[in-house]
Amino acid sequence: MASTHVTKRAKYKTTIKDPGTPGTLRMTFEKILFVPHNPKSAGKLDVEFRYIKGQKHTKEGSNKPPWLNLTNNQNGSFIFEFENYSDLQECRDFVGKVLAKGGEVSEKPTVAYPDEQLSAAEMELRIKLLQEDSELQKLHKQFVLSGVLTETEFWATRKKLLDREVSKKTKQRLGFKSAMISDIKPSTDGRTNKVTFNLTPEVILQIFAEKPAVHRAFLSYVPNKMSERTFWTKYFRAEYLHSTKNSIAAAAEAAEDEELAVFLKQDDILASEAQKKIRQVDPTLDMEADEGDDYTHLPDHGIFREGNKEMTESQNELYKRSLSQDINRHAAVVLEGRAVDVELEDTKAVAEALAQSKQKSSNKGESDGDISRERLDRLSRMTEIEDLQGPNTLPLAPLCIKDPRDYFDSQQANALRTSGDALGGIEQIKCGLSTQEVYGSLRESISSIKAMGLKEPIVKPEVAHQVFDALTNSISNTKYHIGKNPQESVLDRLPRKTKEELLHHWTSILELLKHFWASYPITTTYLYAKVNRLKDAMSNIYPQLEEIKGSVPSELRHQVSLLVRPMHQALDAAIQHYEASMQKRSAQSGERPNGYV
Amino acid sequence: MKFQIEDVTVFFPYDYIYPEQYSYMIELKRALDAKGHCLLEMPTGTGKTIALLSLITSYSLSEPETSIKLIYCTRTVHEMEKTLAELKLLHNYQIKHLGPQARLLAIGLSSRKNLCVNPTVLAAENRDSVDAGCRKLTASWVRAMAAENPNVPTCQFFENYERAASAAVLPPGVYTLQDLRVFGKEKGWCPYFLARHMVQFANVVVYSYQYLLDPKVAGIISKEMQKESVVVFDEAHNIDNVCIEALSVSVRRQTLEGATRNLNRISQEIDRFKATDASRLRAEYNRLVEGLALRGNLPITDNWLSNPALPDDILKEAVPGNIRRAEHFLHVLRRLVQYLRGRLDTENVEKESPVSFVASINSHAGIDQKTLKFCYDRLHSLMLTLEITDTDEFLHIQTICDFATLVGTYDPILQLSCHDASLAIKPVFDRFQSVVITSGTLSPIDLYPRLLNFHPVVSRSFTMSLTRDCICPMVLTRGSDQLPVSTKFDMRSDPGVVRNYGKLLLEMVSVVPDGIVCFFVSYSYMDGIINTWNDSGILKEIMQHKLVFIETQDVVETTLALDNYRKACDCGRGAVFFSVARGKVAEGIDFDRHYGRLVIMFGVPFQYTLGKILLARLEYLRDTFQIKEGDFLTFDALRQAAQCVGRVIRSKADYGMMIFADKRYSRHDKRSKLPSWILSHLRDVNLNLSTDMALHIAKEFLRKMAQPYEKIGGSGRKTLLSEEDLEKMGDGGMDEMLY
Repeated sequence: MASTHVTKRAKYKTTIKDPGTPGTLRMTFEKILFVPHNPKSAGKLDVEFRYIKGQKHTKEGSNKPPWLNLTNNQNGSFIFEFENYSDLQECRDFVGKVLAKGGEVSEKPTVAYPDEQLSAAEMELRIKLLQEDSELQKLHKQFVLSGVLTETEFWATRKKLLDREVSKKTKQRLGFKSAMISDIKPSTDGRTNKVTFNLTPEVILQIFAEKPAVHRAFLSYVPNKMSERTFWTKYFRAEYLHSTKNSIAAAAEAAEDEELAVFLKQDDILASEAQKKIRQVDPTLDMEADEGDDYTHLPDHGIFREGNKEMTESQNELYKRSLSQDINRHAAVVLEGRAVDVELEDTKAVAEALAQSKQKSSNKGESDGDISRERLDRLSRMTEIEDLQGPNTLPLAPLCIKDPRDYFDSQQANALRTSGDALGGIEQIKCGLSTQEVYGSLRESISSIKAMGLKEPIVKPEVAHQVFDALTNSISNTKYHIGKNPQESVLDRLPRKTKEELLHHWTSILELLKHFWASYPITTTYLYAKVNRLKDAMSNIYPQLEEIKGSVPSELRHQVSLLVRPMHQALDAAIQHYEASMQKRSAQSGERPNGYV
Repeated sequence: MKFQIEDVTVFFPYDYIYPEQYSYMIELKRALDAKGHCLLEMPTGTGKTIALLSLITSYSLSEPETSIKLIYCTRTVHEMEKTLAELKLLHNYQIKHLGPQARLLAIGLSSRKNLCVNPTVLAAENRDSVDAGCRKLTASWVRAMAAENPNVPTCQFFENYERAASAAVLPPGVYTLQDLRVFGKEKGWCPYFLARHMVQFANVVVYSYQYLLDPKVAGIISKEMQKESVVVFDEAHNIDNVCIEALSVSVRRQTLEGATRNLNRISQEIDRFKATDASRLRAEYNRLVEGLALRGNLPITDNWLSNPALPDDILKEAVPGNIRRAEHFLHVLRRLVQYLRGRLDTENVEKESPVSFVASINSHAGIDQKTLKFCYDRLHSLMLTLEITDTDEFLHIQTICDFATLVGTYDPILQLSCHDASLAIKPVFDRFQSVVITSGTLSPIDLYPRLLNFHPVVSRSFTMSLTRDCICPMVLTRGSDQLPVSTKFDMRSDPGVVRNYGKLLLEMVSVVPDGIVCFFVSYSYMDGIINTWNDSGILKEIMQHKLVFIETQDVVETTLALDNYRKACDCGRGAVFFSVARGKVAEGIDFDRHYGRLVIMFGVPFQYTLGKILLARLEYLRDTFQIKEGDFLTFDALRQAAQCVGRVIRSKADYGMMIFADKRYSRHDKRSKLPSWILSHLRDVNLNLSTDMALHIAKEFLRKMAQPYEKIGGSGRKTLLSEEDLEKMGDGGMDEMLY
């Protein structure tokens, strides 16, 4: 944006509560000009930029409208509300640029607002990460907003999360449940023969997706021809008839009730869709093409085999739907994933959104010319023999572990289950290596690499395996060790609140310690200030831990204190180190006042 | 890579080659040199097809003057496509290294249904309606009519093709069916007739078994192949059954009803022609007096399936006088249908040899053997004369005539069923100099020459040299509760067995990644067990781990289910596929790599032993080949089982487990019939497992397989050979390296 001015529609507010005057905001390098649409209304503004000291703005994704707050050197402020966030960003960037230019004018450099140096995209990314991960958000709130850590410090240790490539991956969308719709079991009141089905919009969406004919019927019948209630009553009536596996009764009922018949009949939309899909099927498994080539499958040619050439017996067949068909259809729908992303509240809305997305995808299908291309690619992939040639990278979806704790817990449980009591051996892993030993082994491996080059694989499989085993066994193992039963964790027995507090303290202590240890050796004033801040924050945790200990019932107190002990130890070590280095410092430069380097 | 086998330079499109592929080529070359037939067994996952293709094409490149044609028969269309894709890869490689002299023409051949590009014809559902739809637009009389009346619809693609005449040729290259369609669309020529025309010029023709084995089809398509051709039957373990099917017909009540309707329609047509165009019928009569040997002159579009009897068996003689007139022939057919209906009305199963059956027709319906023999051709001729294009409506009467002709010529029941597999394949062995029969499972290898009645010059079974133990067969005899599991007739519906099978699958889906395939012994058993699992909630639990797809009797549905299954495995969701041994999926679909990390064979897939046809066949085998019934049944069941589980390995980098879940597999007489490459990995400790033990082994195995390994093969034996290795071997010491 090299332009010398920005012009946007915006509302000018004198205070936050002011509804605002609509008008046009024009900013140049020199001044800010606001002209209301209504020339009669007050609120015309003409301020020179040199009076502006800083800016604040609302974050996208917060529930606030896009506001830009410009503070002047008299501590007054001008608030502008924009129509959308992109306008806001443009103006914000512009202001940032101007302020940076006139840096010598403003007394405080932009450091106080580290956000301003970020591009809009980076900012968005951080916000998104915080929104997705509630634990991260908690930490951010606790440390950054309270000033223990600065924004930059907080994110500096999480560079990996900010990596553009990683974050570019699409967010995982929630799919359908793996349970079948037929698993919806009615509840009975026990006295009468009446049964009640509980339908949620979620279930309804699944029904619509798996049974396009029901979807179509819903769109055309409800609410003009029948109420939604009657519609679903009829549907479940049909399902009941189907579940009795009595196709004759079903046929009889269908003959009487036209609408009921819709639910009982074979789904004609599915059949036509199948015809369409079969053309795009992988040619290496296209058995339908075989059928077209097979001259022994003229009716009655070849040997009659059990179940192979049975002919349809009667027209009742029309009302017979096999479980296999249902299962196949269900799996196909689950695999396709959810096409609709609307808030599931209103059935009608769900039905319409689904219809729309289908329309879209069918349009896309028709215009899509490279389907045959893809088919050919798949074919050639299927024919190549992989180990006779170089490796072929397959398109892989990156694994996204939302909550590492869940993952390691389940791994831990598995490891415990398989290797029952083999845990005793783990403690013997030798940790105390002397410096000489470490150095020696490092030299050795470097010289071996020099001599032979890097081997594939770099780490011996057995070693890698051992390390992983040890890791899965020891990660969160206290949790299981203290409990008597390996399946049950100590944490699970604690009250929910205590458990969460404990876990939260753990993560926050870890965060603090990480920053603390990373600051040593202290070389700048900045680091010195940081360490002090961190130390204060750490010493605040002690009473909180005591509080937790006190809050649990006495029978659990011992276990909680066992859990708290490592936290204490870690904090103690840090503070000890802090004090030791402080003494050293003051010894070196005895008369220097505290806080000055 | 490029290497020498004796005097032939072989071009192989990969950087490495498996030692067994190399020895396979050597054996194959010996058979070609000796101009004799051969029988080669090599486990799946060792790249048979590419080895075979590269040897034969290289062989013919080294002897340009003889121009060997390769006729490659596959069982299914998708295997055909796969073979052609491999050939394409090879062809590109050869062109790159040899230049234009390596050019060849390779085409796949299939029915109109799979080749037609005319959208109006293609809209029809099945093959027969597509055939009929095509005839309606392209039959000689329709086109003659269209020449006079522009309102008569014709097929634009065929007209263009006809107009281009001799200019309509395919440039050299490898054409899959898809490529043929694309080419046809581009040029505006009918791909079906173009491909049929190009068969005589092609160096490699890939088509279905039946185009060579079924006399009805072979008569039209394969008659022009020269003696020097090399015929390959790939995946030939079921070849005896295909041969038998080609010559078997069954007649049911519906068939007879349909036939009667057809006859009425024909009679109306005859009456119509008599009134309007009597000369046609007279002309036909004259033609018939001269004999049926006029087929060659028919326009290509009027070609029909030819006579179901084998070419040498039908005498080159005139049609018997009593059926030359259309009305008389119609009467004969009516009497025949009447007689068959009478025979169908019996309560008991009767087994008769064709000779006595023909004699009985003669005495009851007054139709002699010779008349029966000509039924099929006579009907064909009549339908041409009557200008009937909607051939799909007339399938029933075709079946009857088919039946009549076969019964008049050979041995066959009202299910005319052929028991002698060698009958259909005999002309193939006689006509071509080299016939190669190859498959992953041809054990016991000495049985096939007897079943098919031929003498191979080379008959060899190769083992697989594995870099690591990448297959893990297990025999599971008990559930976790130690109760035996089996699909033996008295046990299969036992709730305990069904539950234990369910528990087995449930445990496995929770530890095995990606795809799992389950085979059941029959459709009805599979339906039953799935319903029980659904009611007891096991199915729901399985679905928590993997998506479930099921083979049904509807081919379209099954194909889509398979496609989705692959997608689910590709995207990492994981899936289970339920299939049936002897079903279509078991016959031809690969579950290699992540598409099948585990195959569970629930039960032993014995044939339905109470079937009358099977009993008759067993009796025939006992009397002719001295093969004991029990032995044959076990052989057949185990070859099916091996076939089902054998499709999990595609290469040596691949791995998979196989569970044989039936206590009967632990018996030596059953187990020993499995192919050696499975047996050699079946350790004694894995012979009598319960569910929890199998689960433990599976976990260990998967963990082991997930580790990286040395691809070339470690200590001593090499499992991948590079060009240098092969050169070194040329200097001697080959055997020590290979085995």
